[in-house]
Amino acid sequence: MYRELEKCPRSLLVCEKSNFENEKSSHDTHVSKHYFNHKVSLVIPECRSLPPKLASVINNFKKYFLIKDLPVYEFLDKDFLENVVWNGALYALSYKTSIDQDNTIALLPSSHLILSVDKDTYEQLGLEGKPSQYNHKQPMRYVVTIDLTEKSMAPGGKRYQRVLSSLKERVPLKSHFLLARHNSGVEGDRVLQSLLARYQWKDHTPVVRSHTLKDLSCPSLRSTDLRGEQHSCDPSSFLEWLGAVSAGVSCDNTATSFTSTYVCPEPNTPVSQALHCTLSGLLLPEDIYSLLQELRRYFDEPKFTSWLSLTVHGFMDSPVSWGDREHGFHKGGENFYNFVLFRNQDYWLHMGTGSNDRCPP
Amino acid sequence: MVRLKSRYLLCEVCVSDRSHLLLLDDGTVQNAAKHALIQAHGDYGFAHSIFGFSVKYLNAHTGIVLLRCRKSHYRLIWSALPFITGLKKRGQKVPCFFNCLHVGGTIRTCQKFLVRYNTQQLHRMLPLCHSEEERSAIRKSVLSCTVQKDADADSEEDIGEED
Amino acid sequence: MDRGAKVFGALGQRLYSNRMRRAAKKEEPATYERLVYKNTSVYHYMSISLEFENEETLSPAQLKQFIVNGLKDIYGEVGGAFPFDLLKFDELKLTAILRVYNSGLVKLWSALTLLSSFDQERCAVRVNQERCAVRVNQVSPFLLALSGNSRELELH
Repeated sequence: MYRELEKCPRSLLVCEKSNFENEKSSHDTHVSKHYFNHKVSLVIPECRSLPPKLASVINNFKKYFLIKDLPVYEFLDKDFLENVVWNGALYALSYKTSIDQDNTIALLPSSHLILSVDKDTYEQLGLEGKPSQYNHKQPMRYVVTIDLTEKSMAPGGKRYQRVLSSLKERVPLKSHFLLARHNSGVEGDRVLQSLLARYQWKDHTPVVRSHTLKDLSCPSLRSTDLRGEQHSCDPSSFLEWLGAVSAGVSCDNTATSFTSTYVCPEPNTPVSQALHCTLSGLLLPEDIYSLLQELRRYFDEPKFTSWLSLTVHGFMDSPVSWGDREHGFHKGGENFYNFVLFRNQDYWLHMGTGSNDRCPP
Repeated sequence: MVRLKSRYLLCEVCVSDRSHLLLLDDGTVQNAAKHALIQAHGDYGFAHSIFGFSVKYLNAHTGIVLLRCRKSHYRLIWSALPFITGLKKRGQKVPCFFNCLHVGGTIRTCQKFLVRYNTQQLHRMLPLCHSEEERSAIRKSVLSCTVQKDADADSEEDIGEED
Repeated sequence: MDRGAKVFGALGQRLYSNRMRRAAKKEEPATYERLVYKNTSVYHYMSISLEFENEETLSPAQLKQFIVNGLKDIYGEVGGAFPFDLLKFDELKLTAILRVYNSGLVKLWSALTLLSSFDQERCAVRVNQERCAVRVNQVSPFLLALSGNSRELELH
């Protein structure tokens, strides 16, 4: 009767099963290609407090900077390009800009500058770009991608001058930026500090929160059964349970309950305690990878649990999700991945995206 | 040429006391249907289906009502009809229910259906007559309206005689 | 060995050895497998927050009834009759998480947006109408995504 009301936007969930020791396993590229990570959350069943090794990895996550009102052309400064952008990995993402209404700017570690701008700004900018994939009938948003490593973008070159004059004179784009750097050289630090000194800035360290959950039921998983056909839990209900644990949703409801009928998926096992630890901020893929490596070593000592999970949420307003795949918001803008690590170095990887996103790699 | 398509719902109003049928008029039926729509489908469904909704034909003697609505949303009105439990007229409430006999695309098909339906009803009810006098009275009244082509208000067949 | 082991004692030990045996049995590494699901989740999840003109307190059951009434106003008894769950309600911050089938998402969302007054029965006779608004913070087909809302990242 209400057919037009019963539609809903599409979502994608990609599930992979492999082993860390498998030569072709691509878990490292999945982690390193997801550039802008906002939150990492760990769920370890049968664990009361973080093991010291894990805690030290978590506390060693790099700090990041928040710079206020930074003009975009500062990224094109000759000194900055040579010492910071081309040298090491620089992650920069505009802060408090919504990708569905504002101009969003990102600088990827692959030295690509991405400007996701609305139609008016695009026309004023005069730089070549492509209409966004997620437009309606009329393109209202354009994406300009500038490869800073290109020859024509060498400082002093013709194209360089053109981009610089666009960003400096025609449309002086500026925004608050979140900025983080991996592999910083001494020279790079000096140039970065001189840039920071000219603007209002503050450094932040990722916020760590951890708490222990008592007496809960955990779904039982078997590493060989990704689909959940042989008496274990299927991927979507497992992710739902994980979400329920992260959000603090109670699982002990009955089918007749008025408010909620959510229960832990079958089959499940009671667990006396579980550790839930979250980190939030601008988190570098390199740090997340070292956390993943440390988690693999968690099973070196005998443990009660047969699995643990690591979830990484991307920024909803980042113009890219994995690699240079364009990302949009539509209704939720979710892009996240989740590792389930098993005792025998098997792993599951779930990657989820909303409607304005291409299929994860 | 694109035509705005409609659906016609042929309904019969069932009341316990047939004399109450004489209270029927277009406004009462339309009001009752609107209230039922709001109850069953809320403001959204009401706003969707109320355009193009009208009472096309009403026979207060036989209790036959023909409702017209847009083709795209006729299901809304159709499903709301069982929610009508009574008709309100000048402070008086007549308990009744609507029995939908036919859903047609034109008034003509509805009319054809009604003629056929009434014939069937007549055939069904004739054997129930108690005496020969009753039977002949009915035959007489049926014959009288067909021959004279006079709109006999009491006859069940009169919808067949119009047009 | 953590505390759970001591609590469960012998049972835990037996469980543990069973698991070890099972783990040893399927020591062979998992083979690569990739599955792509489209619209795998039958539910959508919403994170909402309530705003009242005056300070109000309400219980989870009251909140659910409030939303059900709002649905009934807009879609009536037929259109508004679909199940949804109130997974969590924080009575202090007045935030809640809802779960609804995909087919009911648009209806629930529109009904929440159009909710504007809350009937508070102060005494038996008089019904007070309290003006209020519901803000939908996030909608996602994954419950997991609700805990990682980057728009809530506040840095000072």
